[in-house]
Amino acid sequence: MSESGRVLEIIELCVAKFGAARPQIDRFSLTLEAGETVVVLGEAGSGKEALIRVLGGFADKSDIISGALRFGDTELRQAAKRMHATIPVAYLPNPSARPFAPHISVQAQLSRVLARKLGSPLASAREELRLALERLDGAPSFASLDRKPAALDPVTLAWGLLAAACAQTPQLVLADHPFVDLGPNAVRTLLKTLSGEQKRLGFALVYATGELQAAARLGGRVLVIRDGRIVEEGDAARLASGHAHSYTQILFKALPQLSLDPPKARSQARGQPLLQVYGLELTSPPNGRDGLTFALRRGAALALVGEEGSGRRALARAVLGLDRAPAGRVVFDAVDINVLSPIMTSRLRRRVAFITGADDALDPRMTLWDTVNEPLRAHLRLSGELVAGYREAALKRVGLASHDGKRTVASLSAFDKRRLQVARAIVGVPLLAVVDEPLRGLDAFAQTIMREVLSDFRAHEGPAFLVITADFTVAQALADDVMVFQDKKVVERGAILDVLRAPKEAVTQGLIDAVTLPGLSQNPPPV
Amino acid sequence: MSAANDTTSAAPVLRAVLRVIGWSGLGLIAVAVALSDFLARAPAGATGIGPMLEAPSAGHPFGTDLLGRDLFSESLHGLSMTFGHALLAALIAIVLGGLFGAVAARLPRYAGLTLRGVAGVLAAIPALLLAILVIGLTTRDFAALAAGLAAAPLAFVRAFDRVDAQGKSTHAEYARATGISAATLLRRDLTYEFRDTLAQASARALAAVAIILSTVSFLGFGATPPARDLGLMIAAAKASYLYAWWTAAFPALALLVLILCARLAAGLDEGERP
Repeated sequence: MSESGRVLEIIELCVAKFGAARPQIDRFSLTLEAGETVVVLGEAGSGKEALIRVLGGFADKSDIISGALRFGDTELRQAAKRMHATIPVAYLPNPSARPFAPHISVQAQLSRVLARKLGSPLASAREELRLALERLDGAPSFASLDRKPAALDPVTLAWGLLAAACAQTPQLVLADHPFVDLGPNAVRTLLKTLSGEQKRLGFALVYATGELQAAARLGGRVLVIRDGRIVEEGDAARLASGHAHSYTQILFKALPQLSLDPPKARSQARGQPLLQVYGLELTSPPNGRDGLTFALRRGAALALVGEEGSGRRALARAVLGLDRAPAGRVVFDAVDINVLSPIMTSRLRRRVAFITGADDALDPRMTLWDTVNEPLRAHLRLSGELVAGYREAALKRVGLASHDGKRTVASLSAFDKRRLQVARAIVGVPLLAVVDEPLRGLDAFAQTIMREVLSDFRAHEGPAFLVITADFTVAQALADDVMVFQDKKVVERGAILDVLRAPKEAVTQGLIDAVTLPGLSQNPPPV
Repeated sequence: MSAANDTTSAAPVLRAVLRVIGWSGLGLIAVAVALSDFLARAPAGATGIGPMLEAPSAGHPFGTDLLGRDLFSESLHGLSMTFGHALLAALIAIVLGGLFGAVAARLPRYAGLTLRGVAGVLAAIPALLLAILVIGLTTRDFAALAAGLAAAPLAFVRAFDRVDAQGKSTHAEYARATGISAATLLRRDLTYEFRDTLAQASARALAAVAIILSTVSFLGFGATPPARDLGLMIAAAKASYLYAWWTAAFPALALLVLILCARLAAGLDEGERP
């Protein structure tokens, strides 16, 4: 560590793509002391990605870079595409960004990186990684990392990457949206661990994110960045207080808010049951004790809340007949789906819509228009004019009307793809919408709009909502009732407000705590 | 573990440039073939146009052969015949291979896999042997059909594998979960997978069948005199090649240009499976 305590100094950094109208980073200056945290908060494309690229020394070939950088107490140097930091710098990537080679075990890859960074033999680096993992509370075992990346869940990969970063005993950690697609409970634990390790090792942290949870939980300075420029700087509590720049206020509108006020009366009249589930068991072999029975009425909304692997998605798949449950019956629109032929099941499913946080839920080859047209053309006999009319109305509702309709899905951003799924659902006029982690991976601004788009969809088309999420704030925004899952069983159920006011199970309390940000959002009263 | 992926790459741009060059070359060949009767100085097979085995000169830019035929005119007529037959053979390969492969991937699983297995076995046999076998079962007049049939199994397997991979994708599962039928998914594949790769697959097939057609003619299983194709011309030049290099070199050059343009138009793509 430097004598002055300074770890990083950035002076007037500019990053631009060749031929681009606007720079990605525009005269960005920053000084970072040892042990200090800077959260760089902004939308996708705000410039935070370019900043991490340059600091990490892996700028694109097409980047045009100017400005000066200083690591530690060394001399100020011109920022360059391939610059090597003079202090130990660890990079903490997002596990969903596929930072691993697919055919080698995660343990071997992380050990190799450590060996290179520490200049030590591979066996020694492996031991360092094992010790680092053991130091982290809640981390998976070292042996569990001895598998290929595809066989491990993103949370385990995130623990591995965090352990590898800490094992480098760095002076600076560059965190590039490291926990962006993980559940709130996992994010809370990982952020707490990262914070603890920072205190223990004393490294400075640059944390690029589009989500607010990290900004609120890590503490330190928050730099709100837009179009490559710092809009505002301060601690999260001040930025969330309302006395902030208008752009900051828009960003912080997406801050998870659990409300204890009674919900507004839904305009949808609740009718007959749409979905009835009798004795459905998700564990195999069935034991006859954990059978799940519930009904979802037309226009009602039920949230299935739980961590990854808790069984909520397995329930949704069983309910839709995509997977056959070990035991139980599912009745959709008064028809038992298990006795239907594949053709009849397919016809029944026409009244079901899917909106998911998976970016590959839409065919990447299709154009924007074709994606919305397909349900209309496949299920109805409509004239071209009518199809175009419904399509335009749906695209307008989700804010995609101004996009070029001939663009392929592959060329759209994650946020646009998510809205396109809603547009496709709108034209299908579904009876049931399965909404699976709809805000996953979106930045704060996009999350706010997505919530509004989904609420509008529910209010106007009136489908029943089956919301799969790990985030109670999402559940509250989109549903009325909740079932909390753990180990493929429902541990708690009821009206969301009742569950929030008086959670009975520790897992429910944990999920509520995961989205309750002390000092920033309204907290449910203590149990 | 890579710290970050370098998103900028010159490869797609280079490939696009190569494709433009290739298609431009094929366009010029098509024009030359269409105007071959006007551009040629003599009708196909006309002997005694010049002295025997005259080296390239102002009067005969490609020289003459043993029978005094103008090699410039002969190469042009040969290119015309090879190009025409290759187009027909490529069409057969695309329809019987690519289109049927895409459709087979959407058939009931057992039927699709059975067809895929048969095509896989045929694709493992060298295409030249298959073509000779088909010619043996029919006549030499069916050389274009034989070349198309010989290239079809590989095109079938490639199309099947591409569409099959799409069928197992997440977006296809979500589509089925919302009642999109298998027929609609097949329409998607034909619209996007087949249409978007049609130009590339056609160019690739054109190169493959041009090689097969020329080789069977060279070996004596294809075109017969008085018909002229490039393979047959190269075979006929075997007697004079050692002391009159131009008799084989110019037909070979014409064949090389045709195959090279087709390969460039395909973006030098070998058609690897997904």
